[in-house]
Amino acid sequence: MNNGVLLFVYNNRDIDYARSAIIAGFLANTNLQVPVSIITDESTIQWMKQSDIYQHAEKLFDKIIYTERSTRLNYRNLRNGGLEKKPVLFLNDNRCKAWELTPYDRTLLIDSDFLIYSDRLSEFWNVDSSVLISSAMKDIRGDRCGYHDRYISDTGPDLRWATTVMFSKDQESKVFFELVESIKDNYQYFSDLYSFLPGQYRNDISFSIAHHMMSGHSSSLDYFLPPILTVQDLDSIQDIDKDFVRVYINDPITGQDNFLCNLKNTDVHIMNKNALIDNFDKFERFL
Amino acid sequence: MNFGYLIFVNENEDVDYLKLAYLLAISIKVTQKEGYDRVALVTNNKEKVSQLSSPWVFDEVIEFEREEEGWNPRSWMDRYSPFDYTVCLDSDMIFFRDYSHWIDSLIGSNLEIFLPSSAYTYRGELICDDFYRKTFTANSLPNLYSFYTFFKKQSSIREEFFNLGRWIINNPNDFKNIFLPKKMPKVVGTDEALSLSAKILDIDKIITLDNNLIKIVHLKPMIQNWPWPADEVFDHVGFYFNLEGKLKIGNYQQNQILHYYKKDVITDEIVSIMENKIWKK
Repeated sequence: MNNGVLLFVYNNRDIDYARSAIIAGFLANTNLQVPVSIITDESTIQWMKQSDIYQHAEKLFDKIIYTERSTRLNYRNLRNGGLEKKPVLFLNDNRCKAWELTPYDRTLLIDSDFLIYSDRLSEFWNVDSSVLISSAMKDIRGDRCGYHDRYISDTGPDLRWATTVMFSKDQESKVFFELVESIKDNYQYFSDLYSFLPGQYRNDISFSIAHHMMSGHSSSLDYFLPPILTVQDLDSIQDIDKDFVRVYINDPITGQDNFLCNLKNTDVHIMNKNALIDNFDKFERFL
Repeated sequence: MNFGYLIFVNENEDVDYLKLAYLLAISIKVTQKEGYDRVALVTNNKEKVSQLSSPWVFDEVIEFEREEEGWNPRSWMDRYSPFDYTVCLDSDMIFFRDYSHWIDSLIGSNLEIFLPSSAYTYRGELICDDFYRKTFTANSLPNLYSFYTFFKKQSSIREEFFNLGRWIINNPNDFKNIFLPKKMPKVVGTDEALSLSAKILDIDKIITLDNNLIKIVHLKPMIQNWPWPADEVFDHVGFYFNLEGKLKIGNYQQNQILHYYKKDVITDEIVSIMENKIWKK
């Protein structure tokens, strides 16, 4: 079985996803001991070349797969530590193409800000389940997880987290990804059916609905990937290295540093992408 | 094995409980395998049963001769059951699939009495909210639900348990003042009475299971884990009963036994759909 990790990487003016993906790819490769590939576009590659990081990408990534850049403009509010939010563009709507684009028989699809510091996800390569998705999000402070971090809507299904998705390239997963694509293409309709706000396209919601539908429109008793331990975008990075990340966990009301937390041997989702990108140079010596 | 389901109907002017019991009996006949699909009805109006299109879905119809109000007749379940092993159900319930392995498990576990100590939302989540059960929490009553009460006829504790339950129902003030002084209930219903009976007899730990096998969906509105208060479940989620006799509530397919609670959701059309299913079986 040909296992590997896959990341989608599309830069924009606000966020240098390429740097983030190189850090995430390096950690995935180091700790899971499997090849890592990226799906990207020409402009992101051009940016990598201009900013002198392409050689890292070439060396690190097993395959660099080119696609067309999405034309669907999708914005979300992002913090960069603290409470201030800024609307930023993100291009995320072709994740449903992971099935056809992946070079692997069994793929772990991860966000480019998901840092793999352990080999825990290796346990799932041989699980007899065509598609595995993370069951939930776990806020690192424990009390900043809202209702809509748990459900796609007030009365709707559980929100699964597409931050980590593992799938085999078979007929069942093909149907799953086709379903995700259909939900994406008919997002307004599904927002009416599942009572969520359609303003911003979220892969988490499309993947959750597809998972819900493929579980017989009921709560699945199937296996899940572990919950996503999440450092929120109002938090910031104090220090990071190939073995640990140390973060300031901020108070959701004041936005001020509440305490310092050192994470080691634990996979973590760093939602403050710029804080991660700003620390890119600390990884360059390992690349 | 002489097993069957028992349903009580106490006629009143507000709700057609016989219609609900009839639908439940049809759903049992449609979904349960042979040997696990027998239904006995206890009613105070036997004549009305014969007016149903398919009264044969009740294997036995037993006249209830006592003068009891509301749901009090249900406390006599152990006396009226014609079966060796019985599950007494509330009439406002419906079955969607084969649950015979639950019965095998209950009988195989040598339980003499069983009442679930948990219930689930329409999304399949465990109900943790005690909104309707403040009395239970405040007075440390075991959290038992009588809507699915299993008992074995040949049992040493059965008679004591139900006799005490009946005594509590008939003398509520004596027991409320002593055992339920906090958040005192206006009415001591079957749930409170049987839970208190289990507590007094110190059998609450041996008449329930911790294995999450038996899952009953309870559709009272304030316990659906919603982020806001709700007066009615169906103000917020749809009730979609299809021609196959399958039900979706909101986005969720219902596979467990459903205690729908809101009686008027059962229309003549739903009864007709289920009648068609049983006739074709």
